[in-house]
Amino acid sequence: MSTTTPRRAHASSPARRAVLAGALALPGAAALASCASGVGTTSTADGLTLLNYEDIDAATLLREQLDAFAGDSGIRTTLDTVPGSGAAQFPDKLRTRILGGNAPDVWQIWGGQIGQPFVEAGLTLDLAPYYDEYGWEETLSPAGVDGMTFLGERHGAPINVASLGAWCNARIFEEAGAAVPTTYDELEAANEAILASGVTPGGFGGKYGWHIMRLYEYLLEVTAGPDLHDALLQGEESWDQAAVVESFDLFRTWNDRGWITPGALGVAPADAEQGFVQGTSAYTISGPWIEGQYILPSGQPQEEFATFLLPTGHETVRHSGFVEGLMISSTSGAPDDAAALIDRLLSPPVQEALQNTQSAALGAPPDAEQFPLSAQWVEIRETSEIYTIQDQAFPKAVADSYFSVQSKVLQGDASPAEAARDMQQIVSEWKDQR
Amino acid sequence: MTSPTLDAGADGAPPARGRSADAPSRSAAGRTDGRPGSRLRTRRRLEGGAVTVGSVLAALVWISPLILLVVSALRPLSDFLSNGPVSWPQELTLANFPEAWEAGQFGTAYLNSTILLLVKVPLGVLVASLLAYALAKLEFPFRNVILFTVVLGMTIPIYIAIVPLFTMLRGIGMTDSIAGIIPPYIAFGLPLQVLILQAFFRRVPEELLEAARIDGAGDVRIFARVVLPLSVPALVTVAILDGVATWNELFLALSLLSSEENRTIPLGLLNFQGQFATNYTGLAAGILIAVVPILVLYMLLQKYIVGGLTAGATKG
Amino acid sequence: MIAQTIDRTPRGAGPVGASGATARPSTPRLRLLPFAFAAPALLLYLGFLVWPALQALWISLTDWDGLSDQQSFIGLGNYAAMLEDPVVGIAAWNNVLWALVTIALPMTLGLLLAVVLNRKSRTSPVLRTIFYAPAVLPLVSIASIWAWLYDPSDGAINTILGAVGLSGLEQAWLGQDSTALWSVMIPAVWVRTGFPMLLYLAALQSIPDELYEAASMDGATRWQQFWRITVPSLKDTHYIVLALSLIESFKVFDLVYAMTYGGPGYSTQVMGTWMYANVFQYFEAGYGTAIAVVITLVAIAAGIPYVRSQVKSS
Repeated sequence: MSTTTPRRAHASSPARRAVLAGALALPGAAALASCASGVGTTSTADGLTLLNYEDIDAATLLREQLDAFAGDSGIRTTLDTVPGSGAAQFPDKLRTRILGGNAPDVWQIWGGQIGQPFVEAGLTLDLAPYYDEYGWEETLSPAGVDGMTFLGERHGAPINVASLGAWCNARIFEEAGAAVPTTYDELEAANEAILASGVTPGGFGGKYGWHIMRLYEYLLEVTAGPDLHDALLQGEESWDQAAVVESFDLFRTWNDRGWITPGALGVAPADAEQGFVQGTSAYTISGPWIEGQYILPSGQPQEEFATFLLPTGHETVRHSGFVEGLMISSTSGAPDDAAALIDRLLSPPVQEALQNTQSAALGAPPDAEQFPLSAQWVEIRETSEIYTIQDQAFPKAVADSYFSVQSKVLQGDASPAEAARDMQQIVSEWKDQR
Repeated sequence: MTSPTLDAGADGAPPARGRSADAPSRSAAGRTDGRPGSRLRTRRRLEGGAVTVGSVLAALVWISPLILLVVSALRPLSDFLSNGPVSWPQELTLANFPEAWEAGQFGTAYLNSTILLLVKVPLGVLVASLLAYALAKLEFPFRNVILFTVVLGMTIPIYIAIVPLFTMLRGIGMTDSIAGIIPPYIAFGLPLQVLILQAFFRRVPEELLEAARIDGAGDVRIFARVVLPLSVPALVTVAILDGVATWNELFLALSLLSSEENRTIPLGLLNFQGQFATNYTGLAAGILIAVVPILVLYMLLQKYIVGGLTAGATKG
Repeated sequence: MIAQTIDRTPRGAGPVGASGATARPSTPRLRLLPFAFAAPALLLYLGFLVWPALQALWISLTDWDGLSDQQSFIGLGNYAAMLEDPVVGIAAWNNVLWALVTIALPMTLGLLLAVVLNRKSRTSPVLRTIFYAPAVLPLVSIASIWAWLYDPSDGAINTILGAVGLSGLEQAWLGQDSTALWSVMIPAVWVRTGFPMLLYLAALQSIPDELYEAASMDGATRWQQFWRITVPSLKDTHYIVLALSLIESFKVFDLVYAMTYGGPGYSTQVMGTWMYANVFQYFEAGYGTAIAVVITLVAIAAGIPYVRSQVKSS
């Protein structure tokens, strides 16, 4: 795609240019380096760029599909990936690229407050015309489309609708004599039993904050219930109240009783999440992608694993979830091509080929034979609603403050009551700024 | 007059000067006949031996993380997991390396880092030595001011410049390119290089330059034919230090390079960490892939580093 | 490039001019050549270091988000906000701790190692190489290695502690506010000790033996000799090591970013990483740059004495 014109006035001053010209008039060097690394403006003649955060296995599958697409349509796409740290670092890398005038044509991003800043900064295209053209309203999950609607406009096309629940090692449960819990108390009992059998119950990695947050928000849902939970996330109710204090208290208890990964705060999520497959922990809170990413490659028999909805004890049992989708850069030189690419990627055959077990494409539910556990979630979603995962409810700066509060509670540096007050301050300040 | 031998004691007493241990020594007890008792000699030898053993042990402990890394990279993951990280491997394998190479896409990272190194270091050293020579030997208005300003740059952390650099490079379309990060790299490397080199150049005897001048050589030729060849040790040292710093640089690369094809080794390693979280042996293999070449080069070139650092930096 | 050979007044007493007198020219003629030599470096330096640094000053006075076109001047608003930002307090304090530890420990260890290794023996050069080796590795790899060692369940450190019966000391090194920063400082010391060691090794060579001989004859123990002779004679080297370590300590970023990402919570944030978070994650380029400006000013102030001493002595 073409470079953007310099936006800052001083970028075009003659003195500056002279300096730059002088510095860069070391021709051999610059030419050599630029040839080797393909520098310069990436023009549309080179095709599209797609940026996401898949790991190498998923990226390989995706590249196959991109090649097939190129064969059929003549539109070549280069895939760049930034795997590993999830929402903590991918948005930065994306932003860096965009800032650098090297925005990818299409990128994958989470919804909520993670994707919204890009929309607010005018970096994305309104996809409404393409929704009409390709009929995405009919073929994509309504929850997904909702999740990709920002400020009333559809700036993204959903690719994943992820439900978070408990993914566990059934064998460990059995050996510990723990049953799949249907109430919160049963879950606590299961924790005790598993711990007694010598295994860490919950595998959580707190290094970037968001993984262990999944446990906390579940506890908040348990103590506060759906309505209050939503109100809290909007800042409409004060966090400084009993239900919140109780949730932080439970959070601490889980740590103190040894029910979560020791030293969780310093452990990376990818480390902790795989524990239940390897047998170092009994379960984790994650989503259907886990089946393809860790369970299948482990080579262990599928009966050893199970998944269940985390019990909240309320009339409406909700679970946390999020949407991921594809956006088109507002500076893309070939938006129509990009839309065609998106349509292709979201088509059921491609979704199945990509082994996407949480696809937003209505025609591509996870194959019940290959991915039995993910298929279970399609059923679960029929009766259980999704609430937006907390790190998408807040912009990053607020989310980081929030993670800091969690961190203090876990280490015993802040009492649950103090934490509740801190959260209230954080959320109300944010609300005031908006 | 007999001169005492001074052995290095483990308590930090002054070092030996290369004299043989048989030379007469004086003990603190004050023997005055000049010849050591054999007890004293034995004690000294034992002390010397103890110090050697002690320091070898200390070195082993010091380097143990790297040893552990190598051992882990050579064992299969199952072996690592079942026996624990500090156990002796039951099985050895080389399979971790190709796996890590692929996953980390080290091929690209190596290419980029190498290009960067081969372009930036000679260029940077050349540019620095031109300035250093001018400051050291050529007359110059505001010489001290310029030297001060340039050397002051070494106190400035690179991250203050990141946003403006970013905007600047974007304005000319050079973000996310190896060529684009070379000018800032050179600029930030100049202060220390100029400091070291100009100190070195100053010590080139004026007579040599005079002689060349009388022979009719111009300043350029003097620089190229007389000064540079004399300065090879300093230049090599500066080049090696700069090379290490360039190879290992993270912040600018992290902020200015974004696409996969332009990654340098530190970025590749960061990325790789994300991929290989619990594959501890794969992780170890990947880290080794990233660092072994530089370690090997270091082994080969370390006497230049030592020599140069000690010569250049300890001017009394 | 045309070398202009004009009458140069050579340093020191020099050849006599054609007129037979060593009169100085009435106006020193400006030579082009030195500028030609200096130009590439100076242009690069001014263009890619000085100018961006000055621009940063300007950016720190705005509320620019780094992304959009709007940028309004807000005077010292960012700096005022820094005073109220609790994370700035944490980060600044961490920088202080970082400086103290990464200056004092490598200096001390380096001196001890230098003294011990300053012997002609076959092992000394090898040992020197080993002790300096961590300094050539990329900090990202150091971070990876040590994070791996610090892993609470599978890391070597906790495993060894458990094996020698000290399992009470096992803990989540990187997962607790109380130990996280210190745990990151250990690899920093590991990396930074080699350099002072080399400097001291060189400097030790130049202490005259006679000093030690005389002291021995006066009955001084080796310990006393160390403190009364060795340490004071190394004054110049102490100064260099101190100054260079101090200057370096302000630049800390890589290790913290890669090992703890500033966490848990904000406990290991340093000014560099907090600046990065604000600029690249929170859309606060103005504020983040202000943070960078503050630490840079402190770094310059701390480094000026050293720079001056280096320039003066040339």
